[in-house]
Amino acid sequence: MNAAPANFRKLGKQALSVVLVLGIWFSPIPAGLTSEAWHLFAVFAGAIFSVIVNAFPLLTASVLAVGAVVLTGTVDPAKAFAGFANSSVLLVVVAFLVANAVVKSGLGRRISLLVVSAFGRSTLGLAYSIFFTDALIAPAFPSNTARGGVLYPIILSLAQNAGSRPEDAETRRMGGYLMFCGMASLSVSSALWLTATSANPIGVSLAAQSGMKITFGTWLLASSVPALATILLLPLILSRLFPPGVNDTPDAPAVARKELHSMGPLTRDEWIVAVTFGVMVTGWVMADSLRLSLTAVAFAGLGVLLATNVLTLDDINLQGSTLVTFLWLAVLFALSGQLNELGFMGYVGERLTALLGGLAWPVAYVVLLVLYVLMHYMFVSQAAQVLALFGVFLDVAVRAGVPVSLMTFALLFASSYFSTITPQAGSQNVIFVGSNYLTQGELYWLGLLTTGFCLLVFLVLGTPWLLFVAR
Amino acid sequence: MFAIFLLAACGEPGGRPPQTLPAGEWLTFEGTWTAAGTRRTLRLGPNDRAAIFDLTGSVLLTGAQRPAVGFRAEAIGFSESRTGMQGRCVWTDERGDMVYSELKGQAVGSGNHIVGTFVGGTGRYAGVTGDFSFQWQYVVDTEDGAVSGRVVDLKGRARFGQATTTSPAGGAGG
Repeated sequence: MNAAPANFRKLGKQALSVVLVLGIWFSPIPAGLTSEAWHLFAVFAGAIFSVIVNAFPLLTASVLAVGAVVLTGTVDPAKAFAGFANSSVLLVVVAFLVANAVVKSGLGRRISLLVVSAFGRSTLGLAYSIFFTDALIAPAFPSNTARGGVLYPIILSLAQNAGSRPEDAETRRMGGYLMFCGMASLSVSSALWLTATSANPIGVSLAAQSGMKITFGTWLLASSVPALATILLLPLILSRLFPPGVNDTPDAPAVARKELHSMGPLTRDEWIVAVTFGVMVTGWVMADSLRLSLTAVAFAGLGVLLATNVLTLDDINLQGSTLVTFLWLAVLFALSGQLNELGFMGYVGERLTALLGGLAWPVAYVVLLVLYVLMHYMFVSQAAQVLALFGVFLDVAVRAGVPVSLMTFALLFASSYFSTITPQAGSQNVIFVGSNYLTQGELYWLGLLTTGFCLLVFLVLGTPWLLFVAR
Repeated sequence: MFAIFLLAACGEPGGRPPQTLPAGEWLTFEGTWTAAGTRRTLRLGPNDRAAIFDLTGSVLLTGAQRPAVGFRAEAIGFSESRTGMQGRCVWTDERGDMVYSELKGQAVGSGNHIVGTFVGGTGRYAGVTGDFSFQWQYVVDTEDGAVSGRVVDLKGRARFGQATTTSPAGGAGG
């Protein structure tokens, strides 16, 4: 009925995206940048812009971008396609497939019924159970992507058992709410514990160059107040920002207990999945000390599930959305990395910080932190931004008179909670994004608001706390 | 958000570099170098390591005499904890003009000192001579072989063989 105006609007947005790319591409190259860096920025910015304004889906924008930068000689093909062999990207893909086994075998349903029987009197209760569970298991997982692989099948089962389907406009909101809670939870739990994500130890080793010695205990002390406050507030805030549709379910625990009883004992497939998943989780937890590759652990688990016919080739064939995710994530991962390698990120970081000379330290502290968070729009990895910009921002802050411990912890925590700012901002998000419970626009909007809220809490509560405990 | 990136990229703090690069005069400069890349390490016993490294990043210069606002920097080399490092470096500006240099010094690592010698260039940097030195503020490795480093005290001087003109703004796009 209104297809023509809608198509026209979409065409307008697509044209605007192309104009943005061409406008930046053909504008004078800033002194100090190479044409490759500037042109890649033009294409990358245009791709992200087109996704934000809903001109193109992420997949379309990504493949157009990689085609453009390779065919114009901006990026070497080997580097542009390197994301397809990246272990973090592969971990996301395999985690998707393994999650399918948890759901298919019925184990996911059983676990979700257990969760509902304990916390299911309201959707908010389920959300809090996700946040608390994640916060408790996080210190043992050095990878938040692996942790996402554990939480995702449970959240998916919770949503499905509640009758929420991504294709149903009415019921999908509950699943969407729970999925975003999973993403948000991973970002905050990663800020709470030093050992909850691989980016944290990198930041700690960089901070050591500024004389900051951070241990597991000092990190926890510094993060405790702002991170726990965020964990307590965020499920509530998200339920206001994205009402799940179903709020109170007072009978759900009793129904869940009844269903759990009727399920009987674990089936063969559930046993296999439970044992395989248990071994995988143990492997992920012990990965550092046993020198195991997280991705290889996931591949081995998937292999066992295929060999035992818990998952079949037909199941894999049905996972078209996994291929979509693999394509866009691998492309954006590589292009974002190239922006860094071509010197663009370091250049912008140095330039931005140079503009802040002469500011009073409290102003410099807030401005630097906000800029650091916003710059994550252009990154597809938390660790990559820590490596590229943490030292630059810390150095400038210290020169501006910001207390070194305050700025160090503020940047370290931001490096975790900014990971929901875009769907591609952290590989752990991608597992939840692939569920299709949330639209592209909702993901960007909720991501911005959630990151803004976290930033506010960490500034308002975290700053005085850090000044008190981390002098 | 994009405006922030554009503002940062297109702003020109610290004034423009000289329009011409005077022949025969020493131009001094200071700067920073933000580098990322890979390092492959071979252990040669408990206290000795050899590594080949490949770093890229951004060099930004300051000072009234700086020959350019900044460059994209690429460096490759061999580094050994016992004998130090040998490397080669290419700086490329917004026009594609290049400056070549040789690097020598202590092994690539936090706090270590490196000296660079300009050995030539292309375009307006043709015939450049001079040297520079810096100390790594930090060099951090990650488990997958990625490495990131930063230099904040890059100092050097350059002399150009013939007077070369620089255009007022950056190079043409496209």
